[in-house]
Amino acid sequence: MKYDVVVVGGRIGGSISSLFASKNDVDVLMIEKRQEIGSPVQCAEGTTFSTFETLEMKPSKKYICTEIMGAQVHAPDGSSFRVKEGMTDGNILNNKTISEGYVLDRRVFDKYLAIESAKAGTDLMVKTTVKDLIRKEGKVCGVVVKHLGETIEIKADVVIAADGIESNLAYKSGLNSLKNPDDICSCAQYELVGLDIDPNLLEFYFGRSVAPGGYSWIFPKGDGIANVGVGVRNSTETAYYYLKKFVSKFNATPVELNIGGVPLSGPMDKTYNDGFLVVGDAAGQVDPITGGGIHITASCARTAGEVAAEAVKVENVSSMFLRRYDELWRDEFEDDLKISFKLRKSFDKLSDSDMNALAEFFGNNNLEKISKLSTLKFLSKHPNLLKLLKGLL
Amino acid sequence: MKYLIENCGCCGACVAVCSNKLLELNENEIIIREGCDNCGRCEIVCPLGAIIMEDSNEV
Repeated sequence: MKYDVVVVGGRIGGSISSLFASKNDVDVLMIEKRQEIGSPVQCAEGTTFSTFETLEMKPSKKYICTEIMGAQVHAPDGSSFRVKEGMTDGNILNNKTISEGYVLDRRVFDKYLAIESAKAGTDLMVKTTVKDLIRKEGKVCGVVVKHLGETIEIKADVVIAADGIESNLAYKSGLNSLKNPDDICSCAQYELVGLDIDPNLLEFYFGRSVAPGGYSWIFPKGDGIANVGVGVRNSTETAYYYLKKFVSKFNATPVELNIGGVPLSGPMDKTYNDGFLVVGDAAGQVDPITGGGIHITASCARTAGEVAAEAVKVENVSSMFLRRYDELWRDEFEDDLKISFKLRKSFDKLSDSDMNALAEFFGNNNLEKISKLSTLKFLSKHPNLLKLLKGLL
Repeated sequence: MKYLIENCGCCGACVAVCSNKLLELNENEIIIREGCDNCGRCEIVCPLGAIIMEDSNEV
């Protein structure tokens, strides 16, 4: 069996890579280890409108649960402040709507993307596990897969690894993909039913007793349903422990438990090799502050698919050529991810009382019009925060 | 290390941090190859407590 491009992983990164490779007229195979694409969900499912601009797709009610107009941030002492509220004409998904973002139904969205990819010409294999890379003279030139007990060799000019945080393919290709436990946010989430919440507002809760090293969230999905989750780092108790503690205050019923690890280390130093590209969580293409990765992955995956197709067409799948993918996505995201990583490192040093002070400051000021004078006044009262901010400037 | 498969949600966080690359995520379980040095990195990131170091006080 031989394809121009083999994409490993059938979630957002895989489907978008394969979609854009197929759109560029090369033969593409996408391989998913699970028997159903989109399941289980390992995500809070929030994303921005720009994801759809990247994909050149009009957002659809098929996979959008709710429209997000802002966020409420809760400090450890219970105080809170509102972040950025958008405007809507009340007609969800109308072109005139000015939206901050959406909460998706990833089960539907991921499958929708896979279907779009298949329509564009991608072949799919599900319930198929990639066991190894085929390498010749150091260059990746295919994969060895197992499907229902049968071992199959599939040759490819380019292999794109979009196989998530659990990826071992990047390592097998010779790239350094090892993650530090300090940089992994360990997450547990319930889909809860019966909540009395604002359907257009994300909520974030901070504090050592709520979510050490991370935060808890409520992402509404409409009709009193929401993803309610917790992400922790370096915690002596599990994410599930904090999840149960967090949801105990709600009179609501879980209908689904999702778990996952989110890489907050920033991207890998190198995301290409001879005949090989890596995208999405596998490449660390996730915002180190929020843990959000749908938009970044969508954009990087599109670039990966396009560059892989171009490499096949010009018959040059060397790392020299595929480096273009690395350069393109870094041009778009690397600076922001670096700043985010530095910010995260600073946030790690905040105590609960620091967070309470920051929440009070943000709560008392219009976030878009914070004056230098009010900032200086605030920092003069909190010199420890000044020290942290200095590191960022 | 002790792997409690009934607690495992197959998220793959442990695979990402295994410094000896001994772990592999199959569809419904983690495959553990020989050579574990009980470094405990996988235990730290497991959201459901499916991995416990055998010398841990909790065992």
